[in-house]
Amino acid sequence: MSRARSSTLQATVVLAAVLTLMVLPGGAGVAAAQSVKCPVKALARASGPVEIVMWHSMNRANEETLQRLTNTFNASQSAVKVQLLNTTSYRDTFTKFRAGLSSGELPDIVQLEDTALQGVIDSRSVVPIGACVKADSYDTKDFVERVLDYYTVGGTLYGMPFNVSNPVLYYNKQAFQKAGLDPNTPPKTLADVRSVSEKLVTSGATKSGYSIKLDPWYLEQWLAKAGKPYVNNGNGRDKRATAVAFNTKAGREIFTWLDSMVDDKLALNTGPPEGNIDNLLAIGAGNSAMTIDTSANLGTILQVLGSGQFPNVTVGVAPMPGPSGKGGVLVGGAALYIPKASSPEKQAAAWEFIKFLNEPSSQAEWSVGTGYVPNRALALDEPVLKAAWAKTPEYKVAYDQLVSGVNNVATAGPVIGPYREVREAVVNAMTRMLTQGVDPKSALADAASTANDQIESYNARVG
Amino acid sequence: MPAETEMAARQARRRRQLRLVGRYVLLSALAVIVLFPIYITVVNSLLRPDQIAARPPSLFPTDPQWGAYPDAWTDGHMGRYLLNSVIVTTAIMVGQVLLAILAASAFAFLEFPGRRVLFVVFLATMMVPFEVVFFTNYQTIADLGLLNTYGGLVLPFLATGFGAFLLRQAFLTVPTDLRDAAAMDGYGHWRFLWRVAVPLARPTVAALSVFAFLSAWGQYLWPLVATNDEKARTVQVGLAQLRDTSLNDINVTFAGVVLASVPLIILLLVFQRQLVRGLTAGAVKG
Amino acid sequence: MKDALLGYALVLPSLLVFGVFVFYPFAKNFSLALHRTPPFPGLPKRYVGLDQVGDVLSSSEFHKSLRVTIEFVLLTVPTGIVLGLLLAVLAHRQLRGIGVYRTIFSSTVASSVAAASVIFFTLLNPQVGLLTYWLGRSGELGVLEDPDTALLAVAVTTIWQNLGLSFILMSAGLQGVPDDLYEAAAVDGANGVRRFWHVTLPMLSPTLFFAAVVGSIMAFQAFGQIDILTEGGPNNETNVLVYSIYKDVFRFGNDGVAAVKAIALFVIVFVLTVIQLRFAERRVSYAR
Repeated sequence: MSRARSSTLQATVVLAAVLTLMVLPGGAGVAAAQSVKCPVKALARASGPVEIVMWHSMNRANEETLQRLTNTFNASQSAVKVQLLNTTSYRDTFTKFRAGLSSGELPDIVQLEDTALQGVIDSRSVVPIGACVKADSYDTKDFVERVLDYYTVGGTLYGMPFNVSNPVLYYNKQAFQKAGLDPNTPPKTLADVRSVSEKLVTSGATKSGYSIKLDPWYLEQWLAKAGKPYVNNGNGRDKRATAVAFNTKAGREIFTWLDSMVDDKLALNTGPPEGNIDNLLAIGAGNSAMTIDTSANLGTILQVLGSGQFPNVTVGVAPMPGPSGKGGVLVGGAALYIPKASSPEKQAAAWEFIKFLNEPSSQAEWSVGTGYVPNRALALDEPVLKAAWAKTPEYKVAYDQLVSGVNNVATAGPVIGPYREVREAVVNAMTRMLTQGVDPKSALADAASTANDQIESYNARVG
Repeated sequence: MPAETEMAARQARRRRQLRLVGRYVLLSALAVIVLFPIYITVVNSLLRPDQIAARPPSLFPTDPQWGAYPDAWTDGHMGRYLLNSVIVTTAIMVGQVLLAILAASAFAFLEFPGRRVLFVVFLATMMVPFEVVFFTNYQTIADLGLLNTYGGLVLPFLATGFGAFLLRQAFLTVPTDLRDAAAMDGYGHWRFLWRVAVPLARPTVAALSVFAFLSAWGQYLWPLVATNDEKARTVQVGLAQLRDTSLNDINVTFAGVVLASVPLIILLLVFQRQLVRGLTAGAVKG
Repeated sequence: MKDALLGYALVLPSLLVFGVFVFYPFAKNFSLALHRTPPFPGLPKRYVGLDQVGDVLSSSEFHKSLRVTIEFVLLTVPTGIVLGLLLAVLAHRQLRGIGVYRTIFSSTVASSVAAASVIFFTLLNPQVGLLTYWLGRSGELGVLEDPDTALLAVAVTTIWQNLGLSFILMSAGLQGVPDDLYEAAAVDGANGVRRFWHVTLPMLSPTLFFAAVVGSIMAFQAFGQIDILTEGGPNNETNVLVYSIYKDVFRFGNDGVAAVKAIALFVIVFVLTVIQLRFAERRVSYAR
């Protein structure tokens, strides 16, 4: 065979192999992702300061802290200038991001919530953070394992976790005392919560023991705590998820517990929608003494209580109670992504800012100012964090939860494309169960069937 | 007068008085019910959150706390939102009235091929609710880079089939001898339109303006999707935003509602007559 | 000739706006309805013919949305007209200070859908809301979170917000009834109620018909109050058609499904208008 023909043959074989790889399901995503490079050295080529924009949805004290960190970064060097844009809520940010994908109006860093992960992957519009880590030989050894695991799919880290939170138990120590319970021994298991509620109600300390916000993550978090996955295919991480995995004995136990608590008037259903803090207000009004809510609300809660509005409440924070098993609490919050559409200089600049935000001192300052937990252990050595956690140990609870338990596929967390649709199916099922008398088994089965329809439809549309 | 008739007259008078009192009682009860939400909003905007939550509830602020208003205005961005609303609403109103005047004048005073068809096209647009096309319009505005801009908020609403219809009717009532006289005096279409027709149609123009202002001011769906930061956000969406971010500070939310309603209240008091005309246009036909 | 050019020039600006923002998106709905649209731009969409239309129209979610919307219309439109008429009749008399009452009854015109919804949302707060307290539901499942009462609450908010407009409309209608008709009826021995039925109502029929048509169309397009009060829940019990469309586009990124529902909404509103116009033409009595 002639030289020319054999090299043509080789080229054809290579081309065929590449094409085959691209056609394999899941393979396309991975191959595509691995081929996106992070131009970490591009900053050196820039002639002046590179200006970048970051979209975020932090509010109030959290926004102030973020702005302070940004100002520090901008003042400390002249190669990069960061401008923050508050896009109000996670939901709005995602919508704006999606619109930007077709109009071209995109930021250089975008903060998107945890559940957006598969969507971001499917949009094929970001530079995976893992590429930057690799190109820059960035050391992530002390980072909290579970937090990095969450944002890693198919071996690629897509986003850099920034504001990490998870659900904790908030309870009213004064109500515990009134009911003859030890205010420093909060309940750990679901059975504990139930017996504590019984005492609270019978002693008349509060109207009901526990307020339930109809949050879909009850099912997600408690299944993770029990060591069970939420969707199939390795929680959506080995391959794209094609069905939910919560219609199981473990899932039914969770639903049954919720249902019986409300039926027996031990718990109060304070309803959906997002942004609802009625479960907390119920504690303030004496209608309940316990609830589970995100640790990210701790700052606001302490602020409100500090204003003296609820003199009958002394808040205690404890690890989230739940089913027992080989599991742990799931990562919550949001991560930072770098859109591909930015120029190489801006991508490099974005990576510089992200590295700054990851500095142990930045993470410590961020955590102290907001109540979010640091994403790396080195931050715990920072004096400002040490002092803050010594003063208000309640803030430490969420971090301890994150590093305790087992790190496995269940606690890595589910990765779902149509996350919103699946969550809506679960919330609707919870509503039907708790307010319209549907039994837990059917409610859960309905939720699973609706969720599976949504997943099928999404998977078909994403090609 | 004989005694019986006098007594009967007195009884009849008393019955009338009772009926009168009864009417006032009924009217007052209904007025209280109708006014209650607005009343409680104002009251609660002057209380502290713990006072609002107190039971039994206070229905009158004995010690008004005005702090919620500056809070809502600055931290709550209501000042910015009001400005945006005023700009956007005025632009829509002026645009709609202007374009309607232009189109209606063509339909009423000019002859051109396809006039009837085009008028039907204008009428047809009234059959397509905005809610049927809003998401594609969102895509269009986004692709034009007009999200979060006044332009994006105003552009889709510059033309109105209803306005053209209304003004064409008003223009058609201009007496033909007036038009002939103007033509003989050398008045072109433009001059005739602005010097004769529009002044004559002033009540309709005023009514249309009020109608356009009111509908644009109250818009919620479009500003919700066309804006997602506070730069161009209008007051209606801003109110919902304020409610979300106020959390426990209900007094700030209510202060925001009051602030958002004040411009409208002032406008309505001043333009009452035009308002009624605008709202009832088409309703009470002989 | 010059007239023609001028004519076209004068309607052109409006036509341009209509073209871009009315006709183009209207037509695009049909294209979208026939494709399974990707959740992100840049990914291909797939032509599926009428499959998606069939799927959506037969889905239980769509049926529920339709049912909820119709319930909402039936709850708000007749009630609004009746209450507006009642207030207008009561305020139509020559009593001293009646002007104050008339102003109060029309006052809700100064509120917007958003303002009214924010007010009622806060008044119905399950923990600290005043209305919740008066309904005896303090500390229990909120009115807006109870699938049995949520739609009712949304309807009440809407009725209240529309009351001013309804009152003004009915008052204007009443003023259009000539006094000599009443006198003639009185001479014929008709009392208050009979006068109302046989004189006022027939004369009001154009106004009533207008209020019913416009009111129903507005009710079918309701969105703001749902977004602020319940976001379509609980369990989709307030998921009216427009809200469902909004969620499909802005929460789930599914434009194809949204387009099918939008076309359905258009058909409904269109048919409604045609039916009511036809029906009303026969029933509306003419003034001699």
